Amino acid sequence: MEPVDGVHSLLPDAGRGAPSPAAVRLAIVDSDSGFVRVLSNRVGAVGWRAEILTSPPPVEELSRLRQHAIVIDTSVLGSEAWPYLAQLCSSSAAQAVIVCTGPTSVAQRVRGLRLGVDDWITKPCHPEEVLARMEAALRARHAGTVTAEATEPVLAGELEIRADMFEAFVGGRAVGLTRREFELLQLVAGATGRVIPRERIYERVWGYAMAHGDRSVDVFVRKLRKKLEAASPGWKYLHTHFGVGYRFDAQEAGDVQEDDGDGAPPASSASLPPA
Amino acid sequence: MVRLSLVPKDREFFNLFDEAGTNILHAAQLLGRLMKQWPDAGGLGREILICEQEGDRITHDIIHRLNSTSVTPIDREDIHALASALDDIVDFTEEAADFMGLYAIEAPMEQALQLTGVLEDACRNIAQALARLKGFQELNHYFVEVNRLENEGDRITREALASLFRGGIDPMIVIKWKDIFERLEHAIDACEHVANILEGIVVKHT
Repeated sequence: MEPVDGVHSLLPDAGRGAPSPAAVRLAIVDSDSGFVRVLSNRVGAVGWRAEILTSPPPVEELSRLRQHAIVIDTSVLGSEAWPYLAQLCSSSAAQAVIVCTGPTSVAQRVRGLRLGVDDWITKPCHPEEVLARMEAALRARHAGTVTAEATEPVLAGELEIRADMFEAFVGGRAVGLTRREFELLQLVAGATGRVIPRERIYERVWGYAMAHGDRSVDVFVRKLRKKLEAASPGWKYLHTHFGVGYRFDAQEAGDVQEDDGDGAPPASSASLPPA
Repeated sequence: MVRLSLVPKDREFFNLFDEAGTNILHAAQLLGRLMKQWPDAGGLGREILICEQEGDRITHDIIHRLNSTSVTPIDREDIHALASALDDIVDFTEEAADFMGLYAIEAPMEQALQLTGVLEDACRNIAQALARLKGFQELNHYFVEVNRLENEGDRITREALASLFRGGIDPMIVIKWKDIFERLEHAIDACEHVANILEGIVVKHT
């Protein structure tokens, strides 16, 4: 089995109506160079294309860029913030408008959301959260155009994985997954039959590079495996590839030969690479 | 002819140090189990806290005895330093365990498992040395081993910290684990400090 290198983003695929990860175009209107750099690196890592604008262009010009989403810091708008936001939200400049700015009052946030802003994030904030909120806003924008085909669950063995409910079911009964467990399952099930390295799983589910020695993936696979085996005892879904990672494949329990332990090498000082 | 010993007969200090040695080893073993089983560590954190309180009690008993005894079998300053250093071991052990819960650690790091293994070995050597302290004989190999383990702990800690500062790691993971690695290293350093004090005591009595 070959390790999967290009596992797709957790953003719902084009079939659900939202743009596919590679096609997402984003404008970041912000003069905070540190934040812009971190956010653009993060969105770049998931294959999105970000246009950086340190000052607000006329809304008509933004419309011509045909962005999927716009992240804007209202501090760059000065006294024209409200008229600009109102114009932006009523235009077809983007499918989702996210305000990401410093601390504001409840009244300001409520006013912005009522103007049509899709989400309002207060700085300091984590780039992964901004990314997740953009994904959510894009999903919400496309909720009305979801096709029947796109909502079809992934079926494997007795398992039914439903992205629309962030849950897996066996015989109609929920397995009871946490969000992180679900994301892990969705990721590996999306690459059925292929081994995903632990580092890649961590990167996709946690959104960061995995520190050498971090056992998070192994712990969450163990938790997920326990829940799946309790819900569907006759089947094995998650298979360990020792020292590499994990593979999703629904197999009846009697057919499984391999060790189902952690994918991590044993904890010993010899396993540590030089600093 | 009756042979007179110049060493005072009060053996209670040795018993208390033996007790302290058993306690630090127990705390280190509990931390090892907690780290291996994390996040399903059950009540192990609570058990380590009880060890820490037991350590305080033993230290208090030693200091109290020191203040109420005119002639001691070991120099007074050595008794005081040894009691404090033993208390440090269990304090740092308990802090490391506490941080696992306080920082909502999702999963252990391999290097933390290795460091708790080193700490456990160092504590075992100290406990054995303390159990034989009253004879002041044949203890050097314990001190040599504790020093070797401390060097091993330093090496693992340095590599663990270096791995946290490679690019792209979640800053929260860096903050949390840097603290925990440092507590584990401090606990191992405290073992070396104990070994050094014991070595000094042995030199004075041989």
